[in-house]
Amino acid sequence: MAKRRRENKIQNKVNKLLEMPAEISSNIPKITILGFEKMLIENYKAILEYQDFYIRISTYIGILNINGYELNLNEMTTDDLLITGKIEGVDFETITEE
Amino acid sequence: MYFKILLNIILGYVTIEVEGYFIERFMNYCNSQKIFLWNLKRTHSTKVIFNIGIKDFKKLKPIAKKTKCKVKMQKKKGIPFFMHKYKKRKIFVISFLLIILSIIALSNFIWNIEITGNETIEKAEILNLLKENNFEIGKCKIGMKTNEIVQQIRLKRADIAWIGIQINGTNAIVKIVEADVKPDIIKEDEYCNLVATKDGMITKVTAQNGTPVVKEGDIVTKGSILVGGWLEGKYTGTRYVHANGEVQAKVWYSQKAKIELNQVQKAKTGQEENKYSVKINNFEINLSKRVSKFKKYDTIETTKKLKLFSNFYLPIEIHTKTFQEYEDRQITYTQEEAKNIAIEEATKKLDEMVQNKEAIVNKNVNVENGADYIEVEVIYEVLENIEAKEKIVF
Repeated sequence: MAKRRRENKIQNKVNKLLEMPAEISSNIPKITILGFEKMLIENYKAILEYQDFYIRISTYIGILNINGYELNLNEMTTDDLLITGKIEGVDFETITEE
Repeated sequence: MYFKILLNIILGYVTIEVEGYFIERFMNYCNSQKIFLWNLKRTHSTKVIFNIGIKDFKKLKPIAKKTKCKVKMQKKKGIPFFMHKYKKRKIFVISFLLIILSIIALSNFIWNIEITGNETIEKAEILNLLKENNFEIGKCKIGMKTNEIVQQIRLKRADIAWIGIQINGTNAIVKIVEADVKPDIIKEDEYCNLVATKDGMITKVTAQNGTPVVKEGDIVTKGSILVGGWLEGKYTGTRYVHANGEVQAKVWYSQKAKIELNQVQKAKTGQEENKYSVKINNFEINLSKRVSKFKKYDTIETTKKLKLFSNFYLPIEIHTKTFQEYEDRQITYTQEEAKNIAIEEATKKLDEMVQNKEAIVNKNVNVENGADYIEVEVIYEVLENIEAKEKIVF
């Protein structure tokens, strides 16, 4: 784990030097919410659960829960996901490294 | 993203219903295979409806097997499916293509020629000129060299200063600028007389050069010499010069008008009847009987060219004949009324003839009363310069 962290640190420094956007250089998801009805998630890993009132998405840093109703996955590609519908709440579950 | 959807519409896509307990797994598999899905909708706890491209649809089978899902096709959309639908209707497709082809072919011909800018030259004359140079209605516009036509016409005609042919779709606009016919200018070193251009009574003679032949109060006729282009000296004898000067004269303009006291006038009853006919090139089709139901009527004909869009003229014309019914009405004027009407008519004509209103010196009205008519003569006395130069021919 320690070795990996060091590697990450070096990478971060390089990226800062090159002024690379964080969402491209790393696996951190970028979540954009437009109004209360549109949500774009980039850099996601997989869909864990999909109901029209509840969506659970796993990302590289944790799990994203979306509550609402009439939720549709408008577009789905390997790295982005566009959710439309009435979004009522978003919460995150971070993976704690132990 | 929208680009991807558009591409799929062109290549064809299907709407699919997937049923099973592990739909999330199914979707994740799709993701790992880089299959693009859109418009996912959860209709039931075990069902999902979504769109998928045709190419990717074939990849779904093994995934469905793995995740134990049932795949059901619901709708087929996109251009390939649309084309497939019309494969059996060959005649429809062929005729559709024929229509498009004929429109394209017809748009290469000229179906209308508009002539603008001509004042003295007749329209038909210009059309004839164009026809001589292979430019007429119904000619193909491909390979047409308007520049050459323009050059040819300009060489041929001296009274056309400039001609331009502009082709807009199937409409050709011919613009013409007419050359002003210049009066023959007599050079300063040539000998000339001043002659009268109108009949009149001389009121003023100012000769700058030459000997005046007429004096104030003389009555001259058109063409007679006013100022001679010669000078007589004691020692030099007769010497010819370039006459110059101004001759002012009273010119009379008269107009007669005759009004009959008992008249039959046309009065429109307001009833109208329209008859249409279609004319294709020179072939006319009447859409209704030509004869009007009225006893007495005026006929007004109008033609309208059909056009597609703004300037795609078709070789089809629509003729409209409007019949307007009228009645004969007996009208009797009193002497006074008839006189006024006659004077009005005559002065109207005179006003057109005499442009310069300030030069009018006197207005006279002669009235002649007949048994059943009134004749009026209106005379204007106008002060005008009547001289014109004329070359002396020896």
